[in-house]
Amino acid sequence: MILDQLVWPLTWVLAALVLGPYLLAVLDGLVARSLGPTRGPGIWLAPLSRGAWWLIQHTNVTEAPDGRAWRLAPALYLALAAGGLALVPWSRTWVATDIATSLVLWGSIEALATVVIFLQGWSANTHLTLVGAYRYVALGLSYILISMFVLIGVALPAESLALTQVITSQQELWNVLRQPLGLPLFLIVGLAITFRGPFNLADSTDLAGGTSADVSGAQRLVWEFARSAMLVAFSGIATTAFLGGWLGPWLPGPLWVAFKMLAVLALLAWLGPAFARITPERCVSLMWVVLLPLAFVDLIWAGVEALL
Amino acid sequence: MNFPLAVDIAFILLALFAVYTGWRVFRTDSMVRASFFLLLSFIAVGAIMLLLSAMYLGVAMFFMMGVEMMVMALFMVMFMMNPAGLNPMMMVHQHRLAIGAGIASFVIVAAMALLARFPHRPLPADLQAVPSLGNELLGESMLIFESVGVVLLATMIGVVVLSSQRGRYGNAGEGSMPPGLEPGGEPAGMPAKDDEEGGGHHHCH
Repeated sequence: MILDQLVWPLTWVLAALVLGPYLLAVLDGLVARSLGPTRGPGIWLAPLSRGAWWLIQHTNVTEAPDGRAWRLAPALYLALAAGGLALVPWSRTWVATDIATSLVLWGSIEALATVVIFLQGWSANTHLTLVGAYRYVALGLSYILISMFVLIGVALPAESLALTQVITSQQELWNVLRQPLGLPLFLIVGLAITFRGPFNLADSTDLAGGTSADVSGAQRLVWEFARSAMLVAFSGIATTAFLGGWLGPWLPGPLWVAFKMLAVLALLAWLGPAFARITPERCVSLMWVVLLPLAFVDLIWAGVEALL
Repeated sequence: MNFPLAVDIAFILLALFAVYTGWRVFRTDSMVRASFFLLLSFIAVGAIMLLLSAMYLGVAMFFMMGVEMMVMALFMVMFMMNPAGLNPMMMVHQHRLAIGAGIASFVIVAAMALLARFPHRPLPADLQAVPSLGNELLGESMLIFESVGVVLLATMIGVVVLSSQRGRYGNAGEGSMPPGLEPGGEPAGMPAKDDEEGGGHHHCH
């Protein structure tokens, strides 16, 4: 029992936490190579050499930062990502954090991520990092409602807030087909929570790196690692909520989850650079005027479907 | 699986953490820091609610307070003219009244904790806390909760509309006007209007 409830789920969570960000970096390299003729170190070694370079780089200091918050923010972001991964059910029995409200707990991880990313930019006490932090809060407050409506839509057919029940409710039909608006909207949330691609408002190049403009060394390594780990955790939740989690023929459940997570990661790694970054003002308008009503439509769709 | 000792230890640690961070709210010198210390305190209380098997309310505390404290920090910085919130400022005022109110409420709450008789009713094993909470919220008490919800929403919108009517540089409807260099003086840094020229000719002097 201890093997099923503790050892195996935790092993998978930790493996995903370590391997996931690395594979994401490799996928990023693959996408970059396929989109343009970049020459450089091999895609399998590049993430490791970049990580080693950050690790031995000296750690930057700014004038009068909020030292504790600044040092803690990357670690807290990583902790939130690990907490998100712990919610992913790897099989019917292998769930690291199996509580009745795991779907809501993921929602709170998204909400707390906003606080942590704001802290990262605010506590450095420099101009560009602060602009990045405020931009991220504007984005975070916009996408969090979309995320909640989409997730409530997933909970409706399951008649439960537990992610395991959400998966068993997809026995006949996966939610990606049952609620066609759900996954596209949720993928946008994933890009926003890790500020990648079109939604990279916080750490963008127009702010010389935004919230991490003045962060270097091991602190920067943890920050970038946490950003990737958060996307891995997000892909785990997307797999659970829309792609049937462990459900699938022939292979054991945990492998299905891992394959589906990789597929979602590859899609997100392609979506990021495929779309241009949106201006912050237009991005917020897009979220509230277009995407939020679409999330309403998704929720109504899910409700009607659950009643029929 | 029950670990009463582990639950007790977790409760004591979380309670101490909640009290410590709650105390730090008033000892720090920045509004942003104060908001996030309050957030930490609420997170510890939410975890205590999880220990009490309030599975939904405990988790709801995390996301409610996460967004709420973020918005609160932001609005305090916007409306209280302390850009970025890193400038040191005094977080307490009205000392005598605050000390009196603090002592009075501590005595009342402590007396309740010591003197009140709390019922000893262990949860039945088959109780489903989340569905029963949902039935309560959207069943018999629906009218109450929905009316309170609509009133709160109307209050929030009203407060934002009223408070944002006059911004830092004047009425919101008239566009941004920087304050003058001397009290009551001309807006600083604004180019003089040359009406006779016309024709959309804008430049800085």
